[in-house]
Amino acid sequence: MTMSFSAPLVKIQSLHKSYGPHIQVLKGLDIEMKPGERVVVIGPSGGGKSTLLRVMMGLEKIDSGSISFGGKPYISSEGADRKTEIDTEVRRSIGMVFQHYTLFPHLSVIQNLILAPCKVRGEAKASATKRAQALLERFGLGAKANAYPAQLSGGQKQRVAIARALMLDPKLMLFDEVTSALDPELVAEVEQVILQLAAQDMPMMIVTHDMWFAKNIASRVIFCAGGVVVEDGPPEQVLGSPKEERTRDFIDRVFHIRH
Amino acid sequence: MALDFSIILRFQEALLVGLWMTIKLTLICIVLGCSLGFFIGLARTSRSTILRAVSSVYVEFFRGTPVLVQLFWIFFCLPLILGVELSNLTSGVIALTLYMGAITSETFRASLKSIGPEQFDACVALGLPRRVQVTNVVLPQAVLRAIPTLLSNCVSLFKESALVSAVGMADLMFVGQNISNNTARPIEVLTVVALIYFVIAFPLTRAVTLVERRVLAKLAI
Repeated sequence: MTMSFSAPLVKIQSLHKSYGPHIQVLKGLDIEMKPGERVVVIGPSGGGKSTLLRVMMGLEKIDSGSISFGGKPYISSEGADRKTEIDTEVRRSIGMVFQHYTLFPHLSVIQNLILAPCKVRGEAKASATKRAQALLERFGLGAKANAYPAQLSGGQKQRVAIARALMLDPKLMLFDEVTSALDPELVAEVEQVILQLAAQDMPMMIVTHDMWFAKNIASRVIFCAGGVVVEDGPPEQVLGSPKEERTRDFIDRVFHIRH
Repeated sequence: MALDFSIILRFQEALLVGLWMTIKLTLICIVLGCSLGFFIGLARTSRSTILRAVSSVYVEFFRGTPVLVQLFWIFFCLPLILGVELSNLTSGVIALTLYMGAITSETFRASLKSIGPEQFDACVALGLPRRVQVTNVVLPQAVLRAIPTLLSNCVSLFKESALVSAVGMADLMFVGQNISNNTARPIEVLTVVALIYFVIAFPLTRAVTLVERRVLAKLAI
């Protein structure tokens, strides 16, 4: 894949998505993400943040619009039949972690990690296991390789989920409110792991309600409300001195709750 | 009225033969019935309307009629329709397998349905092909979840199998009834028969609770 200097990693064009005839979640979203960017998406609930990530992962159908990755369009709904076309090969370059861990409960930690590499890429079990063990060590979970998800804390489960996604060497990571279901004292250990990835220049798009985390990790913040991008800029601007009134209201309210 | 339980000892061999028939019939029908139920459960959750319709009619019919009627029908009507003689054991196996299949298909259907949508999200996010989703994620979880209820279904079948005595199969119940008629000692004989059923069924019922706790602990997430 050749990429010129300014070529976007992700290009989202006039994305529309509705649930049924009356509920429009995304109303023409346009976002361009450059390689190496860490985009944090904030905004009120129901504003379309999680839907955006789910659409990018190919988990939701869309009404119209398109998304390309590395210059290749991989999700689109253009024709008259309005069928959502998904290029699964391109989609495999993207990894995603969810709010509710979504580990496979019947598999041990290490089995959770090696399932996709072995079954999707045909990697040998021994080599996948070796890579998995190394990743677990790195995330402080070396001793948990043979534990089952039910025996782990929420923070440990979420770190396993991140490791599982990384086993496929994604070129972009999507994090959908990954700390929202966690007890407050477990949030830091998960955020630490994501910061570790950021330090290695992993491109990522993060939906979060944690403004401290947003400030620390973002290279760019998008404020999304009512299904459109309201404000888009560096974290100091969007979180510190927002231009748009709606952004300001939201930031005020969120920080008011926190302090 | 003096009770004389020593009479049982005289007939213990006959009772053992009857018990063996009960166990044999139950085991065969557990294996065949659970296998049938598994595929019917898949059919009932499939996308195909025809598969869903056919399997639903079968399940509702067998759940909505008395097992005794099903037994009589298989024993007396099926040979007439097919024009072939069926042995007692064959008829019993067919009847109880069809019944067990209907019951366990509901168990499998419930466990398949209990797998949350987020498990499918994870499969998509990991790029797992549909075949792998089914064989490595859905089915193992469904079977694991089904085990406690399946064990219950098996214990029920063991007890319900006594109904085959009504069509003349020489199971434990049938043998007990015969001895009790011939000796005019129903209290001793039928009590012992009941105890034999209980001694086998009770530990299994307890085991269901233990297994259920372990399965739930494992799948709690």
